[in-house]
Amino acid sequence: MKPVLVIGGGIAGIQASLDLADRGINVHLVEKTPSIGGVMAQLDKTFPTMDCSICILAPKMIECLRHHNITIHTQSEVIGLQGNVGDFFVKVLEHPRSVDAKKCTGCGLCSEKCPVKRPSDFQAGLGQRKAIYLAFPQAVPLTATIDRDACLWFTKGVCKTCEKICPANAVNYEQIENTIDLNVSSIIVATGFEQYNPKGIGEYGYGRYKNVLTALEFERLVCASGPTSGILNRPSDGGIAHNIAFIQCVGSRTQTNGYSYCSSSCCMYATKEAVLIKEHEPSSHVTIYYMDLRTFGKGFQGFVDRAQSYWGVKYVRGRPGEIIEDPNTKNLTILYENTEVGKVEKDLVDMVILCTAAVPHRDNEKLSSVLDLRLDEFGFFDTKDPITAPIETNMQGIYVCGSCHGPRDIPESVAEASATAAKSAEDEFRFMVNK
Amino acid sequence: MMATPRIGVFVCRCGINIGAYVDVPKVVEYAKTLANVVYAEENMYTCSSDGLNKIKEAIRKNNLDRVVVASCTPRTHEPLFQATCEEAGVNKYLFEMANIRDQCSWVHMTEPEKATKKAEDLVRMAVAKAALLQPGDEPEIDINPSTLIIGGGVSGMQAAISLADQGFNVTIIEKEPELGGTLRTLDTLFPNNMKASQVLEPLLQKVKDRPRIKVITNSKVKGVNGFLGNFDITVEGENVSENFNVGTIIVAVGSDSFKPNGLYLYGQDKRVITQAQFEELLKTNKVDAKSVVMIQCVGARNEDHPYCSRICCNEALKNAINAASPNREIYILYRDLQTYGVHYSKLEQDTKRKGVRFLKYQPDKPPQVTAEQNGLKIELYSPTVNEKVELRSDLLVLSTPLIPVSDAKELSQLLKVPLDSNGFFMEAHVKLRPIDFATDGIYICGTAHSPKDIGESITQALGVASRAAIPMAMKKVRTAAIMSEVDQKRCSGCGTCIEVCPYNALRKNDKGLAETIAAVCKGCGVCGATCPEKAITMHHFTDEEIAAQGLAALKEN
Amino acid sequence: MSAFEPNIIGFLCNWCSYTGADLAGVSRIQYPTNLRVIKVMCSGRVEPGMVLNFLESGADGVLITGCHIGDCHYITGNLHTRRKYSLLQKLIMKTGLEPQRVRLEWNSAAEGQRFANLVTEFTDQIRAIGPTPLKTSGPNPDILLNIRAAKEAADSFRLRALVGKEEKMVTVGNVYGGKISEEEFTEIMDEAVETEFQIHRVYLMLQEEPKSVKQIAQVLGISPRFILEYMVALRQRGWIDLKEAVEGTPLYVAQ
Repeated sequence: MKPVLVIGGGIAGIQASLDLADRGINVHLVEKTPSIGGVMAQLDKTFPTMDCSICILAPKMIECLRHHNITIHTQSEVIGLQGNVGDFFVKVLEHPRSVDAKKCTGCGLCSEKCPVKRPSDFQAGLGQRKAIYLAFPQAVPLTATIDRDACLWFTKGVCKTCEKICPANAVNYEQIENTIDLNVSSIIVATGFEQYNPKGIGEYGYGRYKNVLTALEFERLVCASGPTSGILNRPSDGGIAHNIAFIQCVGSRTQTNGYSYCSSSCCMYATKEAVLIKEHEPSSHVTIYYMDLRTFGKGFQGFVDRAQSYWGVKYVRGRPGEIIEDPNTKNLTILYENTEVGKVEKDLVDMVILCTAAVPHRDNEKLSSVLDLRLDEFGFFDTKDPITAPIETNMQGIYVCGSCHGPRDIPESVAEASATAAKSAEDEFRFMVNK
Repeated sequence: MMATPRIGVFVCRCGINIGAYVDVPKVVEYAKTLANVVYAEENMYTCSSDGLNKIKEAIRKNNLDRVVVASCTPRTHEPLFQATCEEAGVNKYLFEMANIRDQCSWVHMTEPEKATKKAEDLVRMAVAKAALLQPGDEPEIDINPSTLIIGGGVSGMQAAISLADQGFNVTIIEKEPELGGTLRTLDTLFPNNMKASQVLEPLLQKVKDRPRIKVITNSKVKGVNGFLGNFDITVEGENVSENFNVGTIIVAVGSDSFKPNGLYLYGQDKRVITQAQFEELLKTNKVDAKSVVMIQCVGARNEDHPYCSRICCNEALKNAINAASPNREIYILYRDLQTYGVHYSKLEQDTKRKGVRFLKYQPDKPPQVTAEQNGLKIELYSPTVNEKVELRSDLLVLSTPLIPVSDAKELSQLLKVPLDSNGFFMEAHVKLRPIDFATDGIYICGTAHSPKDIGESITQALGVASRAAIPMAMKKVRTAAIMSEVDQKRCSGCGTCIEVCPYNALRKNDKGLAETIAAVCKGCGVCGATCPEKAITMHHFTDEEIAAQGLAALKEN
Repeated sequence: MSAFEPNIIGFLCNWCSYTGADLAGVSRIQYPTNLRVIKVMCSGRVEPGMVLNFLESGADGVLITGCHIGDCHYITGNLHTRRKYSLLQKLIMKTGLEPQRVRLEWNSAAEGQRFANLVTEFTDQIRAIGPTPLKTSGPNPDILLNIRAAKEAADSFRLRALVGKEEKMVTVGNVYGGKISEEEFTEIMDEAVETEFQIHRVYLMLQEEPKSVKQIAQVLGISPRFILEYMVALRQRGWIDLKEAVEGTPLYVAQ
């Protein structure tokens, strides 16, 4: 039996890998960043159950690490493909960590002493990390990595503090990139998505007004492992935010400044974040400004009903036209048409959260050309048919799951991941039988 | 009589992580003074290949039969050390860890003396438990590589096809005379207006073409006994009464449609119909209304059915597009339009381009429908214009939610799987195990799980084909030896343990006494804590072991 | 004289709270050194009798932690923990031992800071209450008797059966479809707890030396009428018997 290649180590990639590995099929799990986990590792809680995200994710991450049938390749990307289903030849490029993974124990001392700071991707830019760093506390693998663009040794030929201080002698500046050749029977693409950058929507002031955040930034703010340990300190003055507004469809459902489609989960994650605020500060006021309240999933309507009746979250149907910042207090005024009463209204809040669109990953184009996959008009991977072949692509033996082919939530991504594992298993069986 | 345990203790420095705060040599010396400890050493990194070799060597040289490692957290490293023990001939359940890093040195960095004392206490506790540990026998059960699929609609058929293509035998049981389920009643499908028959026919053909798939129609499941790998099934139908054994079960029984009797004059006026009936008219080209009004969320997102049925908006849009024509007015009255994602957003745009009009209504001010001679009058309060709007139509189409099938409760009791508060089948975990039941070996897909469209049903059906294949492909399943055991002499058959077990891992044997199904038990310990007779032993977390740990903690050293 | 350093035992469930404690470590959040952790797979493994055993043996405090309600890795385990904890509190209230020495908290795997805060707070609280009256070097005899009786009561068939069935009876109902309200159940449980506690107190006293109804009533401060009831119950269970009559007053002895 040949192994299967899974590209992308978020929840979808992890689930597909585990399904295959658990039934005896070997998996090469290729992940671009230093750790598997994806966006789900950055979330505080998940709707509609309010499960702690990393709590339910971390055991699966560790299972991948320990599984005899899974080989994880982090800081790696697929750069070449040849062959056909049953016999694909894949080239994978491993970027060097500059740290020996066999020696590194993840103690974090190097990061403590490193003098160079950079914005942390994991903290959505709200916090910092060092030039040598661990992706996050529960990272898998828990191995340090050096950002060579930031590191003083690589840029200026000085420092080397991490090498001196590492008790396990794990730092290795001589590490070079490495190309691996894999021969696999099928490929599962699970590369996930990105968040829309709302800088382009001038009326909302993102990037200019300190207290306007994206939902992912807010997720880090409210998370116990985030830059403020879960205290709702607003960026401008550190004061506790008490009056918070969520604006839906930022960069979604629009013909200008964004994408025309609906991003599927924002109504629900806004409700989730609203409830989180209420849990942290019961006396706070939270309002969600929406267009259509999308509560179509299992348990969603009940969750929203409880958010309203029990937690007191307010929902206003209206798409804000503008946000104005008070130059002294840095509070924000939202101007919108309340379509429920047909009037233009103004609301004063101390923090605004923009629920931004889930957009195609910037690397989709590159990967699509390597794998010869079609992209849709937006840049998501296209599927063969949304009804009869919802996880198949134009290439036989290459399947997609999760947000890489359109915005969707975690349960859908997990079910899809299993679905792609079934297709890979079918291929595996077919080729075994036909040998 | 049991031999005296020979415990080896390995105290890790973990570089400076433990070593800089805890006096490791002192802890090693202390460990040597403990009862049953015949060997103790320190390591720089116990988890390094060097450290692991040292453990194996020490086991061999000193005839150790239990191992305690005082280092980091068992969550990451226990399996590694357990595997090492096994390699040196020590059963993995004779291994215990003391967490002197994540829960000691790292959190008491300013109190090294107290941290050292705590490390000694934790080692003493681990040693006390280790002395009582018993070797564990991981039970293996054989898995019959065949599946029963209950329900022969699109989900059931798709799951069957995938499983057959993975080499497994499948039996589909269908209560109707034919396979196909709801697909048979549909005309076109969203988002791309594909004909339902284009989906149905290939599936029927594929099922027919696969000798591994057996189909029993006109029948229902009447009995289910057993557990993962070994379910005994009784099936009964008109001319059928069968008994067979399967390894896994998939529930794919679909859903019904809510009939809005009495709502908006449905049942009283023949111009008021459901979307399904509208689709039937479209299929047979019998729509001649000049004006069609559709009302969404009829009997949904309210007290009766407090959920959104996901597909009704898109179904309405699809039917509206198919009914759209230059001399026909179509209005869709909605609360929130559930046109989520890429494909349905496009469907919404297409529908608007066809001239279909959308009017929002508020749930506390629903449309009022009155029957008049020349048509139906529909009044609604439109918040956008803040006034009452009056529409006239010759056809009123009501979008109603999908509801659980009428025999869902019966099936749930047969399989001993739960239903959620809306009567749909409840999965093991909403986020991470959406298509598994908590009971091992049983899976759920399609609209029996919750309302969804055909594409989503096919995805879930493929998903369960993967989930069910896992134990079947491995042919055997090994489970942890952390499980309950019922002392048959002490059990009085009260059945309380069975009540509290969420996995149906306990059952009454033919003596009326409780016994554990080892392969299914997850070792949570709730039955052990519950048993009124104290007849249940929780292996690896026994009453004695827990007491020993706690009393060791309280001992002055 | 050194300050009082409490000895605190903590039950941490494998999935949420143990992981949360580890996270506090990974994040280097500092907290007092007084906690000694016993890992269990689920907080539902923890029995009132276990906790009472540790209190009897001199623990200054016992902390029980588990997953938040709704998050239990074993789905319903922590619902039973809650019920058992309620029983535990009822029993402790009868012993004279401060009920604040025991605490139940939910802590998720992501709540490292919360765990550290919890340990700090609880340790401070126990410090403030002071050393346990049951310290091994000189335990208060009355409280000791009571704690032992509470422990035996907690392990009795009746209380274990009641608390084991509580969750189901109050939410889903029994085999006949009958449901009991929380209030009704509390009434039943309170009565059972009182009876079992007293019965075991009497029994423990009789294990020390034979006594008459009047003597026991005096020591325990309970009306002889109730003591007689308990004696009858104990005789029915076969645990005690009549020893002899001294000056016309029957003495009972443990079997």
